[in-house]
Amino acid sequence: MGPEQSGPTPLAARTRGLRKVYRSTVAVDHVDLDVPVGAVLGMLGPNGSGKTTTIRMLLGLVTPTAGEIELLGAPMPQAAATALPQVGALVEGPGFHPFLSGWDNLLRLAAVEPQLTTGRIRPAVTEALERVGLADAAHRRYKGYSLGMKQRLGLAAALLVPRRLVVLDEPTNGLDPAGTREVRTVIADLHAAGTTVMVSSHLLSEVEATCTHVVVLHRGSVVAQGALTELLESTDASIVVSTPDVAQAVETLRSARIGARPVPGGVRADLTTTTAPSVVRMLATAGVSVYEVHRQRTGLEDLFARLTGSLSTVEDLGTAPDTDHEGVR
Amino acid sequence: MTALAEVAQAVPVRTRAPLNRFLRSELRMVLRRPRTIIFIVGLALVPVAAGIGFAVAGNGADDGPPGMTISGILDGNGLMLPIFGLVVSLNMLLPLSGAMWAADAVAGESSAGTLRGLLLAPVGRARLLAVKAFGVATVTTIAVTVMTVTGTITGVLLLGGDGMLTMSGSTLGVADALGRVLLTAALVTVHVWAVAAIALAVSTFTDHPLVVLAVALGTIVVFTVLGAIQALDWLHPYLITTAWQSVLDVVRDPLPLDGITTGLLQAACYVVIGYSIALARVLTKDG
Repeated sequence: MGPEQSGPTPLAARTRGLRKVYRSTVAVDHVDLDVPVGAVLGMLGPNGSGKTTTIRMLLGLVTPTAGEIELLGAPMPQAAATALPQVGALVEGPGFHPFLSGWDNLLRLAAVEPQLTTGRIRPAVTEALERVGLADAAHRRYKGYSLGMKQRLGLAAALLVPRRLVVLDEPTNGLDPAGTREVRTVIADLHAAGTTVMVSSHLLSEVEATCTHVVVLHRGSVVAQGALTELLESTDASIVVSTPDVAQAVETLRSARIGARPVPGGVRADLTTTTAPSVVRMLATAGVSVYEVHRQRTGLEDLFARLTGSLSTVEDLGTAPDTDHEGVR
Repeated sequence: MTALAEVAQAVPVRTRAPLNRFLRSELRMVLRRPRTIIFIVGLALVPVAAGIGFAVAGNGADDGPPGMTISGILDGNGLMLPIFGLVVSLNMLLPLSGAMWAADAVAGESSAGTLRGLLLAPVGRARLLAVKAFGVATVTTIAVTVMTVTGTITGVLLLGGDGMLTMSGSTLGVADALGRVLLTAALVTVHVWAVAAIALAVSTFTDHPLVVLAVALGTIVVFTVLGAIQALDWLHPYLITTAWQSVLDVVRDPLPLDGITTGLLQAACYVVIGYSIALARVLTKDG
């Protein structure tokens, strides 16, 4: 795990008042991002919430309309030459030449990689391909790769040399469950080696499993950020009661000034002002049949739903593949 | 600061990969693109096809007055064939090929998402453009060289080639004639570079290589039409297509340098304009 710090945490990346306007569309606004050194930061947000635009500005691919960016302590885009060699990135999906093999594509990127000496190019390419499990397909044309293989090659390009910061935009897009697990392992390995990782994802469970920190973006603005455990702890506790007498249960609890709302198969009761046993006792006294009571798991999904304020965005986020390109280039 | 971060900071970071490594990688990539190879082979076949055509036609056309038709000029005058092939191709095929390579260089990489990878390395935006310009110029040179070689060989084998009968009526020795062939190749190369420079500028403004080709094709057609309108003769010195006509001067004797020099200056202007616009755009472009 990341080293414990005293005093202000050093930051691998930092933005202040970041803003990007495409013609009349505000893609990103007032984004103040803090990425602590050694953290695995999960960037969450529905499609079009500004995740990719923020990443592209951070990496100097896009000029911000307003705001400051620091990457590894240096101002971007002025310090691109010194900062970017230490940053590995997979942005907006893998981009490679279809007529070249995976090996030749990586060779090309290795040739322009400042950190690699000419003698280290070939070993570095071999190692990167092995690391993502593409060694067998190395000499096949990229054109014939499956979506998952393309994604793995993009990951290999980001990991060509040891980095201080690795930025992965939707790394699990198109990967099968095994591939997703491997990405999780890669992120864990990077984290163990002290590398800072930024990963944007539309899979909440993915972020919950791999990240130490989370930032939630909504409509181009940061609605929450911080250590994952702190954010989840701040979520209010509640229980779910399985009962057929939903209306009666809700009325009983609300008349006792306990927050309650119907959920599929039962009622969800807020525990901020009371405890689970007293809720159950109250319901039993009122004659409500209680089949089962269980603690509501206060996961990232609830947090996310509360922050972005609409269930539809959560569904969006959970199922739709994120094509978060903001439609402008 | 963690121990690891301190170590990483202590090591001086190399900010650029060596330029020659980038140049070699670019050439390797461009020359392995199937389109590039197909176009070079196709261009190489232009003088060969013309040579075969004229050899066949020449045998049956002995009745006509010599020197009045193209086939009459070329008959027994094989070293004229590479010049003929290059000048004819300069009217459309070569400029379009140059434009296509320029289109692939920036717009093509942008649409494939590979430009991002280069910018993130980072290669530096000005250096990126320089390498791209170098790649396009090199492929152009290769294509013109191959055409010159196939044209010369075909001409000598099929049409005969001891010396060259110039348009002025005099005869040049083999060495002089080959000099004229090389001069043509050099001039044509420079004129295609000019087209490619403009195309590269267009290429930096779009993610779609086809847009670059369409603009190049449209420009050539429009400029050719404008160049044919006498009332617009004040405009002609500014048209990129006007300069191409000066190349034909190489088959006159003695060699008139005025037109050729003016043509080269026109091409140079277009090169400077093209690369200036491309540089301004590349430095600010969203990657």
